[in-house]
Amino acid sequence: MSISSSANDRKQIAVTRAKETGITTPITLSERSITGFALIRIFVGYLWFQQLFWKMPPDFAGLYSYIMRESQHTIIPGYGYILQHTFLSGCTSLHTATGCTLFVPLASGVWIAELIVATSLMFGVFTRFGAILGTVLAAQLYVGLGYSDWYWTYGMLVLLCLALTAIPAGRRLGVDQWLAPRLQAAASSNRLARFASWFA
Amino acid sequence: MRNIRRGFLAGLLAGLLLAMLNFVTDGTPGRTLPNALHWFGITIADPTISRFAGFFLLIVLGGIAGLIFGIVQREGMITISRALLSGLVLGLVWWLVFSLLLTNIMNHASSPLSLQFGMVLATFPIDLLFGLVLGAIYYQLQGHPAPAEV
Repeated sequence: MSISSSANDRKQIAVTRAKETGITTPITLSERSITGFALIRIFVGYLWFQQLFWKMPPDFAGLYSYIMRESQHTIIPGYGYILQHTFLSGCTSLHTATGCTLFVPLASGVWIAELIVATSLMFGVFTRFGAILGTVLAAQLYVGLGYSDWYWTYGMLVLLCLALTAIPAGRRLGVDQWLAPRLQAAASSNRLARFASWFA
Repeated sequence: MRNIRRGFLAGLLAGLLLAMLNFVTDGTPGRTLPNALHWFGITIADPTISRFAGFFLLIVLGGIAGLIFGIVQREGMITISRALLSGLVLGLVWWLVFSLLLTNIMNHASSPLSLQFGMVLATFPIDLLFGLVLGAIYYQLQGHPAPAEV
């Protein structure tokens, strides 16, 4: 798949080749399509960004009731047990994180992960990495809260992040537009650049 | 002259994005839009009109920021590095002027430079994003987007 201003020419060549060889036609995204995806990326990043504010440090209090709900309504057997022995270890109250020993450090990990997803998607920096991390976080929400909320809520979030994993949406209106060609140029001689270039 | 026109258009579009981001807020849609009016000491009693006025003011301010961006770039093509970097600098200046100084002054804060973690987190990334998008659109409008293989 490639993105280029000369998309039509490339499409013509690709179609001709495909007819000759019987290979599947490569798909080319037009400037409008990739810019549209870039806008979707920014808004999905903003979605994650806004969710930082109801569970702010230093106590991450807003997160507590959600972790409690996840531990009670999870759709995967044993997941509740894991939450009770990690996030909720030592907790004595159903409503506040009183007595919890690991809640704050683990909740700070969740908060930082969501901040990374938001920054990555909004600014288009290593967008695919942000989208993969977002998919994992959204899948976790689906597992934990799928029963107690409308089950498609988190399912849709998983699908949105998966779509942004597949498409290099950071290469327009994002830092990846600058980063990707440089990483690709260095990829032939540098293994780390080759690895990193997949995420841009 | 072309650079100024390009900058103005990029600014209007980036301003539109900023206004749209301010529209999709938690709670009532667009509840933070009147803040833009508040920077200039304007208060409109009707909340709906106030939100719409804030929405359009952000677009206009974006256009003005884009004009300045275009003037600074002068005639000729600029690279993607320069476009994004100048955009981020513009976003930083926007944050300093509007989200920090004018907001603190209009809210009668103890100091015009007073900072709160929540306020900085809510405004700084969004203002930087505005600048980055403005720079990226300006680069796109030059008409030579670099091809990128997936």
